[in-house]
Order: sequence, then C-alpha cells, then structure tokens
Amino acid sequence: MYRLIPLLFLGLNIVVPAPAALATDPPTVLITGSSRGIGLEFTRQYAEKGWNVIATARSPKDDNLLQALAKVYNNISLETLDVTDHRDIDNLADKLHSQPIDVLINNAGISGGRNTQQFGSTDYSVFENVMNINVLGPLKITEAFIDHVAASDQKKIINISSTEGRLSMIRGSRMYFYRASKAALNMMMRNVALATKDKGVIIGIITPGLVDTDFLAGSRLPKQLMLAPQVSVERSISTIARLTPELSGKYVANTGEVMSW
Amino acid sequence: MRITALTFALGVLLTCASSSALVANPPTVLITGASRGIGLEFARQYAERGWNVIATARTPADDNLLQDLISEHENVTVEELDVTNHAEIDALAKKLKDQPIDILISNAGISGGYENQIFGKLKYKSFDDVFAVNVKGPLKIAEAFINHVAASEQKKLVNISSTEGRFSQLRGGGGYFYRGSKSALNMAMRNVALAVKSKGVIVGILTPGFVDTDFTARFDSQLKITVEESVSKQIAVIDNMTPDMSGVYVSHEGIKMSW
Repeated sequence: MYRLIPLLFLGLNIVVPAPAALATDPPTVLITGSSRGIGLEFTRQYAEKGWNVIATARSPKDDNLLQALAKVYNNISLETLDVTDHRDIDNLADKLHSQPIDVLINNAGISGGRNTQQFGSTDYSVFENVMNINVLGPLKITEAFIDHVAASDQKKIINISSTEGRLSMIRGSRMYFYRASKAALNMMMRNVALATKDKGVIIGIITPGLVDTDFLAGSRLPKQLMLAPQVSVERSISTIARLTPELSGKYVANTGEVMSW
Repeated sequence: MRITALTFALGVLLTCASSSALVANPPTVLITGASRGIGLEFARQYAERGWNVIATARTPADDNLLQDLISEHENVTVEELDVTNHAEIDALAKKLKDQPIDILISNAGISGGYENQIFGKLKYKSFDDVFAVNVKGPLKIAEAFINHVAASEQKKLVNISSTEGRFSQLRGGGGYFYRGSKSALNMAMRNVALAVKSKGVIVGILTPGFVDTDFTARFDSQLKITVEESVSKQIAVIDNMTPDMSGVYVSHEGIKMSW
C-alpha cells in the first residue's frame, strides 16, 4: 500500500494545469507598440510565462494578431495608447494608478523610412515624428509610470534601443534621424537612470539585434543575418530577468553583453 | 635711399593701420550664433588673423558687440540667420553661392533652460526648441553649405558640441534635452563625416570646455575658462585638423575622446 504513494505522487505531477493558472500574484509587464513585431512577441512570451500582460497599441481593436493573442491568453489586457500623445499617457497612468508594474517595456519605435534621411535629401518633417516616438515617448512614459514601477517587486523600465545608435560602431552613412534618435534615447535613459536610482528603479537600454519584422521590410540585408523575433525576444527576456542595479543605464545587447556607446 | 626708406615706412604704417591688409586672399570663415559668447569670440579672433569673416546672428542689428566688431574690422560681414529657419538657411546659401567657405562653424546652440529639464516635470516644448537649434540647425546648414566648403582650400565643417553629450563621462542627472541633443548632434555629424569624405570635407565635432559666458551663467565655478582661451585653443585644433580627425570627438585641448 505504502509503495503506491510515491507512484500516486508521480501521477499527480503529470497532471499539471496550464501555465497561467499556476502563478499566484504573477508579475505585471506593460508593453508599448505591441501590435506587431518585437512588441507582439514580447506580449506572447510573457503571457505564456503566466505574467499579467498589459499590451498597448494605437488601435488594438484593428490589430488582428493582438486580438487573437488576447483570446488565447486570459492574462493579456489591451490598452489604447499613442506614445506621441502625452495626455493619453497621463490618462493611462491614471487609470492604472493602483497597478504596480514590474517590467515596463518602451518598445514602440519607428525607423523614419529609408529615403527621407540621407544627406542631401533629408525630409525634416520626418525628424519630428521619429523623435516624438523614439525619444519623447519613452521619456514621457517613464515619467508617468515611474511610481507604478517603483511600487513593484522587479522595478524595471526597459527601453528597446538599437545598435544603430552606437556611436562607436556605425557603418556607412544613412538613417540619420533614426540613428540620432537612438543616440538621444540612450543618452536620456543613461541620465534617467541616475535620477531613478533612489527609487530603486533599474533602467534598461537593450538592443534587440537585427530582427526579421516589418521594421526591416525593404531592407537589402540578407535574411540569414536576421534574427527571428522569437529568438530575439527570448534573449531579451532572459537579459531583462538578469538585470541588476549595476546594469541600470548601461547599453546592453539582447545577449546580456554590455556595450560601449 | 631716403625715398626707399620713406616708402618702406609708409608701407609698414599702412600695413599696421589695417589688420586685414596683411593677408592676401584670406581664407573665409562663416560662424553661426556670432552675437555673443563663443561665436562672437570666434569672429573676433579670426578677424584679427585677417580672415574674411561672415558672422551670422538672428538679429544682428540689435547685437551691439557684433556691431562694434564690424566697425573695428573691415573684413567682417554680418548676415541675419535663424538656424531653425530652413528657408533662411537655403536663402543664405544661395546668396553666398559663389563664396567658397574654408571653415564653417556651426556654433549656435541653446541649453533649453535648466528649469525645463527636471525629471518628473519635464517641459517637452523645450525639447523641440533645443533639437531645432542644436541638431536640425547644424544638419541643415551642413547640407546647404557642403558645396561652399568643398569648393574651398581648407574644407572644414566644424560643429561645436559639448562634453555634456559624452556618454562615458556623465556626472549627475539633469539637462536631459540638452545632453540628448549633443549626443544626437555627435551621431548626426559622425554620419555626415562619412557622407562627405568623397568631397574631401573634414567634419569637426569639437567641445569648447567649460566656458565663462552667458550660457554657463547659472553655474558658479572656479573651473570655468575664459572665452579667449577656449576659442584660441579651438582655433588651434581646427588649424591642425586633418582628414583622419573627421567625425572624431575632439576637445578644445585637441584630445580625441570616446563617445
């Protein structure tokens, strides 16, 4: 009779419920620009881990992929957010005022296009848009949500940057506005890290690698050089999980390697 | 013998009377933001060397110090230019289309105000102003005047940046927009350097040091250097700028810096 008990125990272990139900008080992650690409993949992977996911996009009701994800996982909630609309940002922060946010991912970003940012043929109207989305958005969101993050367990604000913002390593002369926006984002977040230290908030500046999404559509880069979104995001999530206060305000690749600016 | 001596004496007298007469076919330097501070000092020092100086400012008619400079030196001309006004930049480039420019100094810059850049109370309108002057201005000017510079002998396009844009040396928080603008300027000009290499143009990214002008008025510090010292050192760096310094982050002491 007693020999059966270990077997029964084994049997119990086999019947494991779906991941989302196991975690009590799961951490919360908020992701901007979650309708496609890297943002969508972050949403999917955190949802699978059982986190409480707040996925934002400009018009989530039109985003089929995001809607489909939200149907599969009941731990995903969708919020409308245009990162260039500062009132929108304040309203959302207000709506979520009693929600601690363990990881906030400033992912929404645009490239500005290929033909508008070459020396001699720059379209300065694009400059505004690129700066508003890639730099001011993350900065305003960080300001608006700093207390939500500080109130959480993990206290991490992650900014998706790019090696295109890496002054010490750029190749060729192109994407002026995009590169300048990532250099500016890096500098601002390096600065913000100094300001948020006393709240214990860790500011991550992470580069996703060359990822095969719409963002690189039309690029002449061979696909073999690109990372699948799943791989890029897996690595980033792992790096985020291992981010310590010493890495706050540092320039980190999705593999976890600290880079020179 | 006396006639020769007299002629000689006259020649010396005439030469001393006009400081610009010594240099035949002087090089040309164009300086933005020349109404005060570093810009005004650049104008003054280049004028004293006998260069052909084109000093630009937003409202030169109201700038007493600049007007004084013009009255002292016949080799200084003044042009009205607001670096945030791209139509004005294009118009000036067109007006000066036959004028080779040996050195173009994008000096005009603003801090955005310390009070507008406190985390938690950021005034985002200031960001627009700071980036319009400190980033778009120099980039647009580089585009509009690249051929003027390429047509000259020295071919130098110099941008006054700041160590406040330097990642590897940040001290304390604050100045979010200003610092961001200088990092963005550095990146833009690093890019421009690559783009204009084939034209033989050298793009300088220079830091002036901690200079005692209106710009740093709110800081009370013994560490500030005079504008005379900053500019004479910067001019020496510019004099010695070679193609391998293009797109490189250099201090007023001529030291190459990491970003």
